[in-house]
Amino acid sequence: MHRPRSSWLAFRSSAFRSLSAFLGLLASFVVGALALTGCASHEYVRGSDEPGIDRAAMSTSLDKDDIERALQKLLNQLRESPIMNEWRDDAAKGRAGMDTVSVVSFVNETSEHIDPQLDAMLSETETWLSGANVVRLVSHERQAEMIREVEGAQHPVFDPRHAPQYGKQLGVKYFITGKVGAADERTDDSRRVQYFIFMQVIESDTSEIRWQQRDYITKAVR
Amino acid sequence: MRAAPGPLAVAAAACGIALLQGCASHSERMLPVRTALDEGQPREAIALLDKEMEVSTDSDLPADLQSDKSLFVLDRASIQQSVSQFARSKSDFEAADKAIDMLDLAHDAKDTIGEYVFSGSSGRYRAPPYEKLSINTLNMINYLELHDLDGARVEARRLAVMQKYVVDDLHEDSPVIGLGAFLAGLTFEESDQPDEALRWYDQALEFTGFRSLRDPVRLLLAGARYRTPRLRDLEASSTGAAPVSPAASGQGEIVLVVGYGRVPHKIAQRVPIGLALTLFADALQPNDVAAANRLAAQGLVTWVNYPTLGHERGGYALPVAQLDGGYVQLEEAVNVTKEVRAEWKKIEGKIVVSAITRMIARYAAGSLARAAAGSNDLVGVLLSLGTQATLTALDTPDTRSWETLPARVAIARLRVPSGTHHLHVDVRGVARDVTVNVDRGGWSVVSLMALR
Repeated sequence: MHRPRSSWLAFRSSAFRSLSAFLGLLASFVVGALALTGCASHEYVRGSDEPGIDRAAMSTSLDKDDIERALQKLLNQLRESPIMNEWRDDAAKGRAGMDTVSVVSFVNETSEHIDPQLDAMLSETETWLSGANVVRLVSHERQAEMIREVEGAQHPVFDPRHAPQYGKQLGVKYFITGKVGAADERTDDSRRVQYFIFMQVIESDTSEIRWQQRDYITKAVR
Repeated sequence: MRAAPGPLAVAAAACGIALLQGCASHSERMLPVRTALDEGQPREAIALLDKEMEVSTDSDLPADLQSDKSLFVLDRASIQQSVSQFARSKSDFEAADKAIDMLDLAHDAKDTIGEYVFSGSSGRYRAPPYEKLSINTLNMINYLELHDLDGARVEARRLAVMQKYVVDDLHEDSPVIGLGAFLAGLTFEESDQPDEALRWYDQALEFTGFRSLRDPVRLLLAGARYRTPRLRDLEASSTGAAPVSPAASGQGEIVLVVGYGRVPHKIAQRVPIGLALTLFADALQPNDVAAANRLAAQGLVTWVNYPTLGHERGGYALPVAQLDGGYVQLEEAVNVTKEVRAEWKKIEGKIVVSAITRMIARYAAGSLARAAAGSNDLVGVLLSLGTQATLTALDTPDTRSWETLPARVAIARLRVPSGTHHLHVDVRGVARDVTVNVDRGGWSVVSLMALR
């Protein structure tokens, strides 16, 4: 009677050891599979709680940090330009002497859908000019309608060559506009977008470019 | 003395059971969506995809886009386009475009190891060239439908970047480029950029199905400097009177784009090793064949899990289009199914090899379990079988693909008198009736995606 019980215990002990080994082995495969497939968790965070949240690049598109840097450079150069001095001189004669300016949407010639960012650049520029208090700003709300009138409904896009017509329609002496181009390249393990941002002031009567500056931004994923 | 399994072992068992329950392949998860499309219920298909992505509305995106959920977003984009929700479709296409590009770029050795050891679907998704090119091509249709040339030009430039990568780095060529080039050419033509338009049209003319381009290209050649040997040939071979521009003749243009059917999606296959060897012997190395032959003797649990291509939908369909009651001839611009099959043929051998490698890994794991049983043969055999059976069940064949990509796309470019026109397009029981107003010298793009 004693021997069979001892044999059963030995079998059970061996079975448990084997089961442990099996489960350990299975665990290593499961852990490996989970590590490879990735188990991610997400949470919402507030910028005021984590000041560094804007620093990380999330895509190859333009973000707030890029826009701030580009505008800081471009508008600082505009501040020191001869055309700005001209506007200051005219503003010194009183409000009636102030030049009228309209900020026109920047043209997107990139491979990224950055129109909302370009609209933000336009609004930032308007805000800066408004704060400078040297020109009278014409709302860009009317621009779309005016451009459609000049260019036709099929292709209603601002064309600097037609600046005199726009100027007459809107009663504007200067336009601030710009364009963003890009060189976009992709390889097997990376994608890089180099942005070229141009900003210019065009005199509407003559289509003359009175001021122009540029800035570069590079974004990449690798 | 009683030897109880440790906490790790218990946790492992729990994880194993949980994983076994959540092991449905991508094509299995998409089955209800495909069924809804087959039944002509695209909005039901969108609702099912929303549920799968755990989002509450058609315009929401999943929080974890850097996962396989980006494929669901891509599928939703196609279906949104098929129900004329172009604004939502373009948002989905753009989100999926970036997410799938990221997945593609993030592919590394870890994914390859996963594919060869654990499961076919453990690696990150790599979109084949025709999928990469189709995203921007189909999204261009959304922008053109909405008359947004700025957005369409962005998509055309994105297509150019991807096309350059596919041709220069992957050394591939795809007829999808033909359709993309046709739409990009139209985009730049209507944006008053004739040289850029000609550059694209030249690429489209490399493929068949774009006869309607001859007159528009001749018109553009008169006012542009861009030339290639193909364009010069076309210029030299043109006989008869020079075409008159739509604006000069008081006309406008309507471009019809009709996608129909669905490309063959991948389906999971689990076959015994003996049958796999019979089917794919030519794709295997001699060493792999020998190892696999030895394993064939395992019989009961020696299975090979791999994906294969299912059937396409709508291969024999004929799209019908009517303009103001008169029938319109459509040209087949691209047969995407042919591309899918050709691409699959290229990678099928590698996939079967990785499946057999996984099978060998499972066998090795079974042998380890058996060795761990020591002298207890019965337990050893049971654990070996259990290990292999469990890992076989965990091995999910990689059936990920863009399942709602149209199987074929046909086009027509029509000159019409300026004014209001009624269009009726019908294919596979899906119809769209549109009234378009075309200005003198103007244009309009009308699409129908019948994904049944």
